[in-house]
Amino acid sequence: MNTAVLSARGVYKSYGKKEVLHNLDLTIEPGKIYGLIGRNGAGKTTLLGILTAQNTLDQGEVTYDGQTVWENQRALDNICFSRELQPTLFSGQNNLKVKHYLKSAAIYYPNWDQEYADRLLDEFKLEPKKKICQLSKGQMSMVTILIALASRAPITILDEPAAGLDVVMRERFYQLLLEDYTQTNRTFIVSTHIIEEAASVFEQVIILDEGKIIENCPTEELIDQFRYVSGREDVVDEVCRGLEVLSTHQMGRHKTAAVRGGGVKLDAALSADVDVSPMNLQNVFVALCGHGDAQ
Amino acid sequence: MRGTLNDQSLIYLQIAQMLEDDILRGVYREEEQVPSTNELARGYNINPATAAKGINLLVADGVLYKKRGIGMFVASGAEETVRRKRKAAFYDGFVRPMVKEGASLALSEEELLAMVQQAVKEGEEK
Repeated sequence: MNTAVLSARGVYKSYGKKEVLHNLDLTIEPGKIYGLIGRNGAGKTTLLGILTAQNTLDQGEVTYDGQTVWENQRALDNICFSRELQPTLFSGQNNLKVKHYLKSAAIYYPNWDQEYADRLLDEFKLEPKKKICQLSKGQMSMVTILIALASRAPITILDEPAAGLDVVMRERFYQLLLEDYTQTNRTFIVSTHIIEEAASVFEQVIILDEGKIIENCPTEELIDQFRYVSGREDVVDEVCRGLEVLSTHQMGRHKTAAVRGGGVKLDAALSADVDVSPMNLQNVFVALCGHGDAQ
Repeated sequence: MRGTLNDQSLIYLQIAQMLEDDILRGVYREEEQVPSTNELARGYNINPATAAKGINLLVADGVLYKKRGIGMFVASGAEETVRRKRKAAFYDGFVRPMVKEGASLALSEEELLAMVQQAVKEGEEK
């Protein structure tokens, strides 16, 4: 089994005056499916680009198996970053054809599995001769998914693979991902905005907020730290004392608080006259990254 | 097994609970094989590590056991073990909340017990 770790240490990145990543540390262990979530503009794509040496960084280092990834053929052979396709290239239309993308992927990735690629091409009903600019958004996502899966790279990164896919196709995508993962046990990093339906697929979840990793831990362990506590205002306040309150919502005397705390403290809440209900990953994400924007 | 998972509790707990339900219903009998981690992962579109966590929970409780190189099997006496576990969970999950709800309605102990007895009687008449 592969034991190489992909790791970022002290990464800073700015675009002009805007700092996108701020002293970021991240460790990607082999053999797991990671979910990367963050709000629009949080720096997800920038981070993924830097992890795969497709973006420059201002400070810090990214290593794979102890070696820097920058201009390191041996490391980059093992990492596939399937970027979102764009209908335009530079200043014109993206007139490259699907087959051109597949051909370059076959050259670029040493573990490329042509038979698997053909099978997926068939299943997704993609026309190899079609130009990228003629594809729908969903079909562009399918091309990036196809390249990512068929690359068979030990570390495979997908940026917003679910964007534009209909719900049937999204389910099928997660099925394919899990099937391949079960067979190969390679590492996947998947960024997505459609959180809830992906939560059960992620073993580990990474939350990026304002240029920093604020969480990187097993999905269920994270979710289990959070609860909604609701009831009469003063009782809720009493129960929540000593717990980290992330957001509150009030209607008259009825108050609901999103709280974070260890098991023992939450158990204390159960014996008071309040309702305690669990959160799902989406609720947790909103509680952590909402910053009071929408309540 | 149930068709879908919900987001009201952690997935590995739901997996463990569904397997227990099926053991109580006789879907899986004692000494019979249960679905593997990978089969569960495929069936429910969940991460295999999560499915494994659910199965390991049942192994720790003595409901399932591992036959090396073959798979997971229902332990003998598993039905009894599950029932005992469920009884304890019934007290915490149903009886105590019921008493709490009764208290918030200012029901006396006698009234509460009378209600329980009546419900038992109605159940017997059906």
